[in-house]
Amino acid sequence: MAEPVVQLVDVRYRYPTGTQALDGVTLAVQPGERVALAGPNGAGKSTLVLAMAGFLRAEGTIRVAGHTLTPGSARDVRRHLGLVFQEAEDQLFMPRLGDDVAFGPATMGLAPEQVRTRVREALAAVGLAGCEDRVPYHLSVGEKRRAALATVLAMRPQILVLDEPSADLDPRGRRRLIDLLGGLEATLLVITHDLDLALETCERTVVVDAGRVVADGPTAEILADTALAAAHGLEVPQALAGQGGRHPAGAEPPPEPPP
Amino acid sequence: MLDHFANRSTPAHRLDPAGKAVALLAVILATVLVTRDRFLPLVPVAVALAAYHAVSRTPIRYTLRRLALVSPLAVAVVVLFPFLEPGEAVWRWSVAGGEVVVTREGLVRAGYLLAKFVLCTWAALLLLATTRFQDLLQGLARLRVPRVFVTQLAILYRYLWVLMDEGMRMRMARAARDGGLGPWRLRLHSRAGVIGVLFLRSWDRAERIYRAMAARGFDGTLHALRHGRLRPADWIFSGSVLVASVALVLGERFLYG
Repeated sequence: MAEPVVQLVDVRYRYPTGTQALDGVTLAVQPGERVALAGPNGAGKSTLVLAMAGFLRAEGTIRVAGHTLTPGSARDVRRHLGLVFQEAEDQLFMPRLGDDVAFGPATMGLAPEQVRTRVREALAAVGLAGCEDRVPYHLSVGEKRRAALATVLAMRPQILVLDEPSADLDPRGRRRLIDLLGGLEATLLVITHDLDLALETCERTVVVDAGRVVADGPTAEILADTALAAAHGLEVPQALAGQGGRHPAGAEPPPEPPP
Repeated sequence: MLDHFANRSTPAHRLDPAGKAVALLAVILATVLVTRDRFLPLVPVAVALAAYHAVSRTPIRYTLRRLALVSPLAVAVVVLFPFLEPGEAVWRWSVAGGEVVVTREGLVRAGYLLAKFVLCTWAALLLLATTRFQDLLQGLARLRVPRVFVTQLAILYRYLWVLMDEGMRMRMARAARDGGLGPWRLRLHSRAGVIGVLFLRSWDRAERIYRAMAARGFDGTLHALRHGRLRPADWIFSGSVLVASVALVLGERFLYG
């Protein structure tokens, strides 16, 4: 087996207020894997992301794309770890969308022509082609979410980490996002309590509760375990609850009836 | 928005932002530096601004409305001059044993300062009306304005509206429950609460923005794509504004000395 692209060994973090947000998380993600990180509110999912990027100094070992996280290597780690935060509004901090998407590649030191190409490609990838001149403040919630994804895609990270990507999206925006994620090449780590989303985009699901990994396995199996879901405040997707599974991620959807 | 009319395309809009910023600085300096008590040297400034205004086809209401918005500041500064400046008395009142005097010199002085204020503000408004804010920021960066300021302006411009929205939502949430009624003491209390919460939320937001920036490798510079190049028209415009400003100040010194 290849070296895991993300490797966490016994990661612990306690907030200054005393909350033990991470209580010994051990997890390995292989290159190209699509992993959903599920769990109730307050389980430590977002804290784990902040720790992985070095924004919180956690105990334990964190390795990302061959770099062991230390205060000095946080910059290298972040270069390979594409973080899409929960609040798209805060991720789009430039007054013009094109400049915002250009921010990452330009900071990486790419030539202006390359930066322009990346901006164009990233915006096209999220269905916002030609929107360089738009003002982030005026985008809709769904557009902001996709724009935030574009800002990270433009950096071509090895691992994409999305924090609650489907929160406050309407069904159409959500569908669009799921299709978009399905078409991405990078290793994917999706933090969500939207288990439908997990089922459709990730073949593996890790359930986190109270700062610990409580289950880890193929998404369809994890989600079929009603007792597990109930114990950790999750809701099994309607699609699975009734007839024991419709079409798990990776499988072909049922063929369309001929016209 | 601040730069609502900046997306038009007129000769004034097409000028280079850095050149326009230099011209603005020259106009402001000249306006401030001409000597105190004559209106005549201000006339050429006003004429030049009016010409620029016309070329840029900026609606006059835009300028007037924004001037009105900031003028209370100037009025607050200027309003005391007629009372404090010594000189020929125009009005006198006896108040509580003392005497309040309004002087001619004080009135002229106040009017004069107000005129300078209006001209400077007008010039700044014209720059904003004919330059997109992000272009202006890049212009400033090219003029070697410290990047901390440029970054701060960029973030301020980006989040000012978000902050205003947030304040508005909280006000509506409050009004939905108290209907704008209730004892004034309680209202004042809740208003203070809104401001406090707004402050804390902004703090949190600043933290999140910083993380988003750091996650993409922020190193202190806001890199951007477009780099302007000065065309002959930019040189002519900024050059002539500079020369005219210097000529105005020196000429005024020389003539009235």
